[in-house]
Amino acid sequence: MEFLAQTDPGFWFGQPETMDLRIKVIGCLVFGFVLLAVLLNVPSRWRKYIVGAITFFAGLFWILQFFWPQPLHRSPTDLPANPKEVVSFWLDDAVPVVSDFTSILTAMLTLLGIFSLLRVHLGRLFKMQKDWAFSLVLAIAFVCQATFSLWDYYDRKANPQITAGHGWHIQNYMSDLLFDGMVQQFEAAMFSMIAFYILSAAYRAFRVRSPEASVLLGAALIVMLSYMGVVTQWDGFVKSMAGSNQFLLNFQLSVIRSWIKDFVQTPSIMGIEFGIGIGTISMGLRLWLSLEKTGNI
Amino acid sequence: MAKIIGDKLQSLPKYWLFAILFLVTSIPLFHPLSVPTPPDDGSADLYAHLMQVPAGSTILLASDWTNSTRGDSKGQFVAIIKILADRKLKAAIYSTADAQAPRVARDTIAEINAVRVKNGQPPYSQWNDWVSLGFYPSAEGQLSSIATDLRKAFASKTEQNPATGEQQDVFESPVLQKIYKLSDCALSFTITASKTSDLTVERLLHKTPLVLMVTGVMGPQTQNYYYSGQIVGLAIGVKGAYDLETLMAKGLNVPGGIVSTKIPASAPPLSNQTDVQSIGTLFYPPLQFALWLLIIMVVIGNVGMALSKMGAQSK
Amino acid sequence: MNPGMQDFLNAWYPLIKLSAGVFGTVGLYSVLYKENKFYRFVEHLYLGLAGGYSMIALWTETLDDTWYSKMVGKAATHADAAVPGMWAYAILLPIGAMGYFVFSKKHNWIAKIPIGIILGLYAGQQVQAWWNHYGPQINKCMQPIFPTTLASFTVPSKVGLSPAQVTAINQNIYPSQALSNLIFVATILCVLSYFLFSFELKSKFFKGMTRTGRLALMIGFGAIFGSTVLMRFTLLIDRMYFICIEWFKQGILHMR
Repeated sequence: MEFLAQTDPGFWFGQPETMDLRIKVIGCLVFGFVLLAVLLNVPSRWRKYIVGAITFFAGLFWILQFFWPQPLHRSPTDLPANPKEVVSFWLDDAVPVVSDFTSILTAMLTLLGIFSLLRVHLGRLFKMQKDWAFSLVLAIAFVCQATFSLWDYYDRKANPQITAGHGWHIQNYMSDLLFDGMVQQFEAAMFSMIAFYILSAAYRAFRVRSPEASVLLGAALIVMLSYMGVVTQWDGFVKSMAGSNQFLLNFQLSVIRSWIKDFVQTPSIMGIEFGIGIGTISMGLRLWLSLEKTGNI
Repeated sequence: MAKIIGDKLQSLPKYWLFAILFLVTSIPLFHPLSVPTPPDDGSADLYAHLMQVPAGSTILLASDWTNSTRGDSKGQFVAIIKILADRKLKAAIYSTADAQAPRVARDTIAEINAVRVKNGQPPYSQWNDWVSLGFYPSAEGQLSSIATDLRKAFASKTEQNPATGEQQDVFESPVLQKIYKLSDCALSFTITASKTSDLTVERLLHKTPLVLMVTGVMGPQTQNYYYSGQIVGLAIGVKGAYDLETLMAKGLNVPGGIVSTKIPASAPPLSNQTDVQSIGTLFYPPLQFALWLLIIMVVIGNVGMALSKMGAQSK
Repeated sequence: MNPGMQDFLNAWYPLIKLSAGVFGTVGLYSVLYKENKFYRFVEHLYLGLAGGYSMIALWTETLDDTWYSKMVGKAATHADAAVPGMWAYAILLPIGAMGYFVFSKKHNWIAKIPIGIILGLYAGQQVQAWWNHYGPQINKCMQPIFPTTLASFTVPSKVGLSPAQVTAINQNIYPSQALSNLIFVATILCVLSYFLFSFELKSKFFKGMTRTGRLALMIGFGAIFGSTVLMRFTLLIDRMYFICIEWFKQGILHMR
């Protein structure tokens, strides 16, 4: 059973820069958009089943890939010896293709978020709604960044010395300024602001009002102290007092911290993770079998 | 009186806190201090494993961080690249978390190379020492593909061969020439600020030894993987970067080096000690002051609460 | 490029680049005082730049090689043989386009098709993923809680002993280890009992167990809080380093 990933050019392949391949690509695109047009006219009572079937068969691939016996020590020239191996070779060859499809679809859907952002701000700009000036700033920044980044990308491909730092032109400087000089620094600043709010919130809200709060505060203090130089000072003091007494050496802060981490902190977080894991597998099954009610179709 | 003091202690203006935090995190940067702290077991294990990899081997490196977590992740990435460059190990770098991540990794290596060249060391060069394999938005699919067939997972990726100036298949580079499947890679590193650490363990387990380098917030959960033996090394936050820099400078379980009672393996310091100490060593002292500030403010708040309660009860 | 412009950029570009970053950092930090137009300007600037870069990066890092190059193939060069194109990859463009119907009031159900494909693929992987994630951890939870020797309460020191003696020590479970393991197993059972919502736990024993589990959870949350604080402060220190050292000390004052 051949699939997309066979090495011999067959039905699924075409030689590059040939009319044969161009016709196949265009034909596939036309087929896809005709399929889309057909779906636009599907009666509403069928929609739930179409989406459910697509979701089910998508998930079935990985379920089969996990449960079906996998080929061991398979060489590129091996041929399947029986129907079981036909399926296992097919699944093996399909994995990179399926993961490519997933990456490509995910990338296209990520562009949806950017499209949505532009839709909102361009709408605000063209209708001159409140704060339209800020939307103009966003639009200009977007266009500048996109232009210079793309220009820089193809410039680097054509001129290897640019990557080595030589012979920069305006597009290279602008791409570097906008990305390294601005986006990266702004992003770091945005995420670092939380530090101020954590300090303020810890000061105002972290109160020892109940046993649970006391335990939480104590655990947080032990974790923070373990990252501080005071550990070394106390451990040095304990070592000097203990001498060769092995029992007293257990009172070093690093030993206490390590014990709490290994025998109390780790199992408590493991327990939380197991609880999450049970929820994840049940949600995965519900999604695969379309048992989730995600809104009207 | 107690109630008045207690209420005042609980209502200090937040701008005072912000200003003090600004000062305690910036002043120590002008006066670097030394803060001796023993390395974590996970960091020591990571260093020991990496130093035992034979020279010329290839490491698969997932660089899943951007400048949003630069404080934690950049120090870890810089430390790893310095070790790889010193030990002549090769790196195949990819990302599954953020579209910006590949460029951030390339730019950071360029910064490291600028310093290496200035110090008379050979640069860690693209194509010969490392390749960039791009960004894959579907982490689940790509990691499964890497586990099944690494060559097909990165098929059609090309990079510029500096000798010819042409775009060539990455599997023709010295980095990936001898790599046919994941188990041919000596180690798989993931430097991440997102759940790609979980996805990596779920899909690459038992294919090759795994190492995770995560931000501080993910540390406690990721510790479970190290505790149960699913990963062979773990670096958490800036402490992980600091531990690695300390081990790079002094070595592990060697004469004059850091002694670990839990990690029996030994590993020497880096052969070239120029510019070993970097972000981890720079950021660790201000962190001490910031943590002390937090502890003091929490204590002040609780003392204020206690005084207010005492004052209210005495009335 | 004009030689005069080149000289200017060689001399001043590093400082211009650093100053642009400082401008944005200060602008974003101004919201700590109060919401203001400077902050909103920088915020929108950041959104525009990040959106523009992400769009291009999705093409340059992903779609160009993984989709377009694979679809149209590559002609032979003197370094590489020709790579045939897989025309079936073209179907992904209409499927991806289906996602944009989320904005249509009448046809927004079609957007569920590409989402369903991705969710189905994700859900299908969960069986293997779950076992690789939790299997070894469940295995590690099976700790011995009974000591195998009472020769010593704590583990004896192994310093100066022969390998055979060290092996003999390692093969035993001493009372201190058994106690620690008991605490480990009890903690994890108590935490798991806290998540049992399928039936009511009426007995005092189970209520005590869930209360102990709640306390153990607080220890876990405390550890997570401590680590979170560590990370957030590190991000702030990084920004302070950028402003104080990279821009001010090295950029403005030229001190290394």
